[in-house]
Amino acid sequence: MKQIIELDVNDEVHELAVEPYDSLLRTLRDRAGMQGTKRGCDSGGCGCCTVLVDGKAVYSCMTMVMSVIDKKITTVEGLPEDGELDPLQQAFIDAGAVQCGYCTCGIMMASKQLLADNPNPTEDEIRKGISGNLCRCTGYQKIIDAIKMAAAS
Amino acid sequence: MSTNVIGKSITRPDAYDKVTGGKKYPVNYSLPGMLHMKILRSPYPHAKILSIDTSEAEKVAGVRGVLVPDDVPKQYFTPVYFVPHNAPSMVQDFVLMSDTVRWAGQPVAAVAAVSEDIAEQALELIDVEYEELPTVFDPEEAMKDGAPQLHEASPNNIAKAPSFAFGDMDAGFEEADHIFEGVYETQRVHTCYMEPRVCVVDSDTDGRLTVHSSMQHTFGLREKLAYALDIAESKVTVVKPTYIGGGFGGKLDIGFIEGLAALLSLKTGKPVRGEHSRGEDFISTTRNPIKVYLKTGVKKDSTYTARSIRSILDAGAHATHGSEVIMVHGLYGTFFPWKCPNQLWEGFTVYTNNMIGGGYRGYGAPQGCFAVESQNDEICETLGIDPIEFRLKNTHREGDPHPVLEGHKLASYKIEDCLRQGAERIGFDKRKPAGSSTEVKKRGIGFACHPLWVSGCVGFPDIYEHSGATVKLNRDGTADVISACVDLGSGQISMLTAVVAEELSLAPENVRVVYADTDTAPFDAPTHASRATYSAGLATKAAAVETKKRLFQAAAAVMEANAEDMVLEDGMVMVKGAPDSAIPMTDIIARAESPFIQVGEQGPAPTTIAEKGTIIGSASQAPPSNPSPVGAQFIELDVDTDTGVVEILRVVYSTDIGQVIHPNSAEGQVEGGFQQGMGYALMENLQFDQETGACLSADFLDYKIPTSMEMPANIESIFIDSNEPSGPYGGKSMSEMCLIVPAAAIANAVYNAIGVRITDLPITPEKILKALGKL
Amino acid sequence: MALTSVQSFYSPEDSKGVIELLAKYEDSALIVAGGTFLHGLVSRGLLSGIEALINIQKLGLNQIDVSGATMTVGATTILGQLQSCEQVQKEAWLGAVKDAMTYPPVQIMNSGTVGGSISSSCPFFDFPVTLLALDGNVQAEGGNGARTISLDEFFAGLFENSLEADEFVTGVTIPVPASKSTSAFIKMETNANDLAIINLAVSLSMTDDGSCAGARVFAGGGVGETPVRCSAAEGILSASKLDEDTLEKAGQAAADELDPLSDHRASAEYRKAMGKVLLKRAVTSAIGRLA
Repeated sequence: MKQIIELDVNDEVHELAVEPYDSLLRTLRDRAGMQGTKRGCDSGGCGCCTVLVDGKAVYSCMTMVMSVIDKKITTVEGLPEDGELDPLQQAFIDAGAVQCGYCTCGIMMASKQLLADNPNPTEDEIRKGISGNLCRCTGYQKIIDAIKMAAAS
Repeated sequence: MSTNVIGKSITRPDAYDKVTGGKKYPVNYSLPGMLHMKILRSPYPHAKILSIDTSEAEKVAGVRGVLVPDDVPKQYFTPVYFVPHNAPSMVQDFVLMSDTVRWAGQPVAAVAAVSEDIAEQALELIDVEYEELPTVFDPEEAMKDGAPQLHEASPNNIAKAPSFAFGDMDAGFEEADHIFEGVYETQRVHTCYMEPRVCVVDSDTDGRLTVHSSMQHTFGLREKLAYALDIAESKVTVVKPTYIGGGFGGKLDIGFIEGLAALLSLKTGKPVRGEHSRGEDFISTTRNPIKVYLKTGVKKDSTYTARSIRSILDAGAHATHGSEVIMVHGLYGTFFPWKCPNQLWEGFTVYTNNMIGGGYRGYGAPQGCFAVESQNDEICETLGIDPIEFRLKNTHREGDPHPVLEGHKLASYKIEDCLRQGAERIGFDKRKPAGSSTEVKKRGIGFACHPLWVSGCVGFPDIYEHSGATVKLNRDGTADVISACVDLGSGQISMLTAVVAEELSLAPENVRVVYADTDTAPFDAPTHASRATYSAGLATKAAAVETKKRLFQAAAAVMEANAEDMVLEDGMVMVKGAPDSAIPMTDIIARAESPFIQVGEQGPAPTTIAEKGTIIGSASQAPPSNPSPVGAQFIELDVDTDTGVVEILRVVYSTDIGQVIHPNSAEGQVEGGFQQGMGYALMENLQFDQETGACLSADFLDYKIPTSMEMPANIESIFIDSNEPSGPYGGKSMSEMCLIVPAAAIANAVYNAIGVRITDLPITPEKILKALGKL
Repeated sequence: MALTSVQSFYSPEDSKGVIELLAKYEDSALIVAGGTFLHGLVSRGLLSGIEALINIQKLGLNQIDVSGATMTVGATTILGQLQSCEQVQKEAWLGAVKDAMTYPPVQIMNSGTVGGSISSSCPFFDFPVTLLALDGNVQAEGGNGARTISLDEFFAGLFENSLEADEFVTGVTIPVPASKSTSAFIKMETNANDLAIINLAVSLSMTDDGSCAGARVFAGGGVGETPVRCSAAEGILSASKLDEDTLEKAGQAAADELDPLSDHRASAEYRKAMGKVLLKRAVTSAIGRLA
C-alpha cells in the first residue's frame, strides 16, 4: 500500500506517494516526474540511473526509496547553479562526449563525486570513477576528455 | 572546397538538452490515462499452446485488457521494414503472436493495466498449457533430415539459400600454388543500446493510431504496424523520436511491443505503453552467428586464384533479418570486397529454436571480415608474404568499376593510404615474429581491413532506399528542417544541421531539426546501413537548394535582378560579384511571408504576387550511387599467457570516408565502434541453456561489455584526405565500418602475440590458454 | 520486476526492534541495508512472498573499531568506508581487504555493506573470501542474545547461512595478528563491474627471517556453493621460504583442491588453472607488501 513520504531532491522537499518496495529510481522518474535519471537495466549493471545520495554516487535502481528518506538526493536536474551549467555539463557538450546521451546523466553524476573527492584526477582515476557506468556509443574516450576538461576548469 | 560549417565540429544541437536531463527520449513519453502493458513469454523453446486461461488475470482490479494469440490478426510478415507485397525476396514468417512457440521468450499473452505492478501481477495468473515439441539449437543439425522442423514451408529448416558464383572453380584451385582451408565461427551478440525499447500507442474512435516509439525507422514502423494489424497505412501516424538512446540496428525491427500495445489500445480505447525490461531486450534482437567455411587458392605472386565460401547463419526461430543479413554477408562481407577471378559463395539462413535475430551495425560483414581477414593473415604467415602488400595485391583500386553496382565506379577509394598510414602510425615495421616473445605477457601487433562497404542500401539486388526533407526559412532568419531521419545518437541532427547551415549560409545555431511524423515529413528509409549522411544528407542538401532557389525568386522582385545571378553569403542575398546589392535574407523572407504589402525604406515598394509565400523547399530522392568507405585498423595488445587475459594497448583506425562532415562525431564513431568491436572480439556472448533454451546472460551482470577500465587509452583516428564526387560536400558514410574490422584486427594481433590462431569468437582467456596448451 | 508482495518497510532504531520484526514475519521478512543484493535477487525473479523489509541502517552499526586486539566492523559499514579506513590502507596484514576494495565501482562502494556482503552468503562475492583468510568472525544478534559465529561455520550453502530465523548480522570481527603478517586478494573478472570468475585471498604470518610461519588460503567465485579453503596449499606455504618452487607446488595444490563448476562464465578447468595462478600472484603480492 502506498504511503506518503517527504523526499529532499535537489534541495526541494517533494511530497510523494510511494510503495514500500519502490526504488529511488522509480520514485524519481515515475512519482516525482524527474526523468533526467534513466532506467537502463534496473539491476545495477549500466549506471544510467546514478544519482547522489548525501553526495555519494549510487545506483538509484538498487536503492530502496524508504531507506533514503532522511537524505539529500541530487539528480542531474540539480547540477546547474544559478542557471549556469555545471562545469561537467559544459565540458560534456564541448568535448563531444554526448552521442545518444542516455548514459550521460548517470556518468556526470558519478563524475560529480569523483571531482568532489579528487579535483585533479589522473586518467586512471577517471577511468575507475566511471567504471560502474556503461556507454555503448563513445568508447568512453571523449567522456574522459570531458571529465579532464571539467577538472581543469 | 571552401566551406563554413562542413568539416568543422559544430556543437551538437542535441547536447544541451541531453546534459540537462534529456527530456525527449521515447522512454519519457506519457499520456494521461495511459495503461501499462506487460508481456507473458514462453518458458519453452518449442511448444504447442494447448490452452490459455486468462480469467483470473482479468479479475485483477486495474486490469483493462488481455490479449492471447487468437486476438491477433494472422498477418505474416518480416520485421525488417518492407511489407510483403513490396519485398518479394524477404521471408514472411513472422506474426505478432502464434499458437506455436519456437523460442523461449516468445510472447504468448499480454496484459494492459493501470500500473506496471498490476500488469505484472496479472501475468502470473495466466495459465498456459503447453505441449513441448522437440528442439534443435545447432543450425547444421537443423539442416539434417529428420531434425525437428520449425516452419512447414521450409524443409530442413532452410529459410533461404542464396548463392553467387563466377569463373571456374576447378580451374582456379588447379592454378593455385597453395590452398588454405578454415572454419571461422562467430557468436550471438547484442547491440546493447542503453535506452530500452519502448512505445506509447494511442487510438481514437475511428481506429486511427498515433505511435511514439524508440524504433529507428519512422516510416518502417507505420508500414509494418498497419500491415500487422491489417489496417490502412494512413490510419497510423508515427511520430519521429527527437532522438533515441542508441540503436545500432537493434531497433530496426518493429518489435512485439508496438503491435501488441496497438491492439490493446484499440481494445481499451486508452493509450498503452510498453517498455522492455533489459532481459526482454536481450532476447529480442541479436547479431546472427555465422559459421564460415572458407577455402582459398593463392599463387606464389600473392594473388588469389579461387575462393569458395559456405556461410551458415543461425536465424533462430524466425528469419527476421537473417534472410537479408546472409545476402549482405555474402555480397559485401565476403565475396566482392576482394578481387578473385573464380568464386563461389553459398549461404544458408537456418531456423533453430534459438532467439530471433535482428539488425546490428555491420549487418553480416563483421562475421565475413573475421573469416576472410583471419585467413588472409594465415596465408601471409604461412607463405612469408608481407601482409600489407598481400592485401594491396588483392583489393580493388580507386577508379575500378564498382564490383556490385553495374555502371558505377569506385570513385573515392584510398585503401592503400589507409593501410600505409595506419601501418606507419602504429610502427608496423617493428612488429616481432608471431609468438616470439618469451615473456609471460606477450606483445602483439595486428591489423585488418575491409575493402568494400556501403553508404546506404543503394543498388542491393532489389533495394534502392530514398530520403526526403523539407527546409523552411523563418522570418527571424532561422531554418526548420523536417526530416524523418532518426538520430540514434550517431549525430544525424548535427549532420542535417551542418548541411543546411552550409547550403543556406546560416550559423548552425540558426538551423533546427524540428518535429516530424509520417503525416508531415517525406519518406525516409531507416537510419541504418551507413546511409544517413550520404542519403539523407544529399536529400536535405537538395531541399536546401530548392529553398534557396525560392529565396532568390522572392528576392528577384525586390532586387530587380535575375534569381539565377544571385548568391547567399552570411545571411545576405546579393547579385554575384556585386556586394553593394546585398539585402538581408530576413527582409526578403519577411516580405514574402507577410500577407500585408510591405513598404521599403525608399518609399512604397509594393510586394508582388509572385514574391509572396513561405520560403520553403522539399526534396525526395534516391542517392545516385553507393560509394564505399574503406578502412584499416591496427591494434597493439598484450596477452597474459598465464591467465589468457588480453589487454588492448593502442588502436589506430585509418579510414577513407571522403570529406569528413563533422570530425568530432566521426572520431566518436571510431571510438564507440571499437568498444563494440572489442566486446565482440573478446567477451560478449549471449548464451543459452542448450536444454531449456533459456537465456543465461540476460543482464549486464552476465553479458559483459567493455567498461572504461578495459578500453585502451589510445584510439587514434586517421581520416585520409579524400573526396567522394557523388557525396554531400564530398562525404561518405562510415558508422558500420568502425565495427566491421575490430574483431579481425584483434584476432590477428592475438595471433601475432601468441603464435596460435583462434578461429571462433569471442577470444576468451580460456580459449587462449587452450590454444597455448595450458588447459 | 518489483517486489510487489512487500507491504511494509521498517526502519527500527535498535536491534530489539529488528529481532521482534524477524520473529513476527519469519521467512517473509528480509533485512536490507544498501539494497544491492536484494535487488539482484529481485531482478532475477529469485525472491517471492516477501512481505516486510527491515532496514537496519538506523542501528548505528556503521562503525569501524581498530583500537583493540580485534578489529570490529559494523554490519552497515559501506565498502567505501572500509576502504578509507587508515589501517586498511596502511597495514600489510589487511592487504587482502585493501585489494578487494579496489574492484567494485563507486556506486557499489557507496551502497554495498560489509554485513550484506557476508549475510547474503553469495559464493561469488569478494569480501567473504578475504574475511575467511583473515580468520574473521560474524557477530549476530537474535532472540537468544548476541553470539559470535566463526565464518567457517557461517556459510552453509548457496545463499544459505547458519543464522537462526530471528537472527541478523550486526558486524564482523577480525583478530589483529600477534606476529608479522601480510595478505592479498586477487579476482578474475571479465569487466570492471563483474562477479568473480574466481577469486582468491591469502594471508601469511611471517617470521623475522622472511619464512612463512602460517598461511590461510581461500578461493571463491564459482569454486563451490561456499568459499573453499585450500588446506594443502596452506600446508605447503607454512614453514617454507616461499621461494618459486614452493609457490609452484602450493599453486598446484590449491588447483588440485578446487572442484569448481562449469557455467556460462568459465569452465571448471579454467577456474582450476586460475586457482594456481592466483595463488602464486597473491602470495607474491602479499610478500611485496612487507618490502
